[in-house]
Amino acid sequence: MTNSMQEAMKSDVILITGSNTTWCHPVFGGMIKKAVKEKGVKLIVIDPRETDLAKIADIHIRQKGGSDVAWLMGIQKIIIDNNWHKKEYIDTRCEGWDDYLKSLQAYTQEMVSAVSGISKEDLTAIAKLYATGGRAAIYYAMGITQHSHGVDNVKAISNLALITGNLGVEGGGVNPLRGQSNVQGACDMGALPNVFSAYQPVTDAAVREKYAKSWGIDVATMDAEVGMPVTLMVDNAGEKIKALYIMGENPMMNDPDLHHAKHQLEKLDFMIVQDIFLTETAEMADVVLPAASFAEKLGTYSNTERRVQLGYQVLEPLPGVRQDSEIIADLATRLGASNFPSTPQALFEEMRMVTPSYRGMTYERLAKSGLRWPCPTEDHPGTPVLHTAKFTRGLALLVPLEYRPSMELPCADYPLLLATGRLLEHYHGGNMSRQSFTLDTLKPECELEMHPEDAEKLGIKSGDWVNIETRRGKVKVRAKVTATVDKGALFMPFHFHEAPANMLTNNALDPIAKIPEYKVCAARVELAS
Amino acid sequence: MMEVEEIRRLFGIAIEREIESNEFYAKAAKASTDASVKAIFTDLAKDELGHMELLERFREDPTLPMKMIKPAVDYKVAEEVALPRLSTDMKPADAIALAMKKEQQAMEAYRAMAAQCTDDSLKVIFNNLADMELGHKNRLETLFVDIGYPEAF
Repeated sequence: MTNSMQEAMKSDVILITGSNTTWCHPVFGGMIKKAVKEKGVKLIVIDPRETDLAKIADIHIRQKGGSDVAWLMGIQKIIIDNNWHKKEYIDTRCEGWDDYLKSLQAYTQEMVSAVSGISKEDLTAIAKLYATGGRAAIYYAMGITQHSHGVDNVKAISNLALITGNLGVEGGGVNPLRGQSNVQGACDMGALPNVFSAYQPVTDAAVREKYAKSWGIDVATMDAEVGMPVTLMVDNAGEKIKALYIMGENPMMNDPDLHHAKHQLEKLDFMIVQDIFLTETAEMADVVLPAASFAEKLGTYSNTERRVQLGYQVLEPLPGVRQDSEIIADLATRLGASNFPSTPQALFEEMRMVTPSYRGMTYERLAKSGLRWPCPTEDHPGTPVLHTAKFTRGLALLVPLEYRPSMELPCADYPLLLATGRLLEHYHGGNMSRQSFTLDTLKPECELEMHPEDAEKLGIKSGDWVNIETRRGKVKVRAKVTATVDKGALFMPFHFHEAPANMLTNNALDPIAKIPEYKVCAARVELAS
Repeated sequence: MMEVEEIRRLFGIAIEREIESNEFYAKAAKASTDASVKAIFTDLAKDELGHMELLERFREDPTLPMKMIKPAVDYKVAEEVALPRLSTDMKPADAIALAMKKEQQAMEAYRAMAAQCTDDSLKVIFNNLADMELGHKNRLETLFVDIGYPEAF
């Protein structure tokens, strides 16, 4: 996030798209509700589903799945046509205006309405409130990113914030709500194929030298090439990838097109899984390393607003269970690292010395209320708002964008559009939350949401068993008939191994981010016999 | 008490530093191939002219109360960063880093001069000049924190 969660109270307008915030980020969802109800912050929700926040929004518009670039660029054209953009901000802080403006001409209201299903009047209402309502923040989640054009969606959001002068200001910003509790931290620490911690490139010899020295290894043994993102690792299993070491991840529930994922993982020569429960993936592993849960370990979590927080150990792990850092340090030492830190404290100290954005953090400082990076020195208070005066590249780039449809659209054989997602009661592949008696009692079963008009045509009632089928597979699931979803749309959570939604999803990838298109796939539904 | 002429001479030295910095940044702006870096160096050159004009006002009238506002904090960001090499293709963050390192060096030079002074009024002047450079360093450090830690992958 460019800004902080607490700033929701300082915004005048909040635009949320592709995020069921109260279910998937319930703490922050509560903060948004408070900002709307107590502070009178105007709320715009653009989402195909009627989420809890959509119900209290000043404007809730349902867009067609996969149409985000069209409606986002469309409202930018309306903003500029009406002179609601911030010229001085654009002149002093942005570049690329001419090419951007040229690309915007394709987004006529007719074209945008046809693609997105949003009326001209609604597009104008969104544009006017966002551009003229004061300080405006955008929050989005995987409803924006999990598309074959997810990167374009994010660039379109960035353009919108830039032309209205909403980047680098308190209460504004472009704010992705990260999908996991520590995915920000994982990325910050270099759990990516191309960077070390703080996004320092693996291709830089000086950077490799720094880490080799810190860990006590020979720099010549370090790979200087960029690796593969996880989606491509699975595609290359058995060929370029002979072995996988999987930690805290369950691809056999969470990867798209599970038939394909299983087929690929079976080709591996060797697979290690390190997790807190015996997941579907762990059942396929050659070696399972039992790891400590959050309550059994000491360490930090970096949340979506870049705040690093300290988590304390309150329970002793079960016999045979070890902390992740212990397992990794032991392995690193056996592989020849002579100086690999073996305790969480030592690991944090080593990490901050090689990670400029975290260098000013210490366990003592974090114990108070956490710190938001960049925090480059022990005197520095951390950074709630990024880019207040400059952007990383100096001037921000306004990006020309061409609308590209999703890889699958409704057709005669598969007339409906399926999006997958999460419920309030469960988390991700369900391998943690479904172990909870309370949570699993509250929501023990998968339900496929479909609109009443679609259900009526198919003779389906709530509670019926139905088969949902896509080009990848077929799953039997209980139907839930509800106007929460739009006509022609389906929603299915991916928490339930009894009805694994990812048997159905499309493994088409965004060409840059390599993220799968979980949010749009063509499907058909029929009553199960 | 120091002679007025001596005070003027000291301000003359400080002004020379600002002129040199202005020329350095103007040359760097001219040589830069990246538009954003060119703009950053142009702004820095302009800043140095502003600093020079301020010092000239004090030189013209040394009786003016010369009390720079000392920044309340010093986050010491410049101290943590290595001095980047000036090049035609440097990144915006390196351009800012170079400038904040130069302000740090100027601040440290004035502090060192103050520390060596036996004359109290001279010590005050050097410390005030160091505070001025600390103010410049702080402003550049804020800019650097904005752009020096990109989440780019």
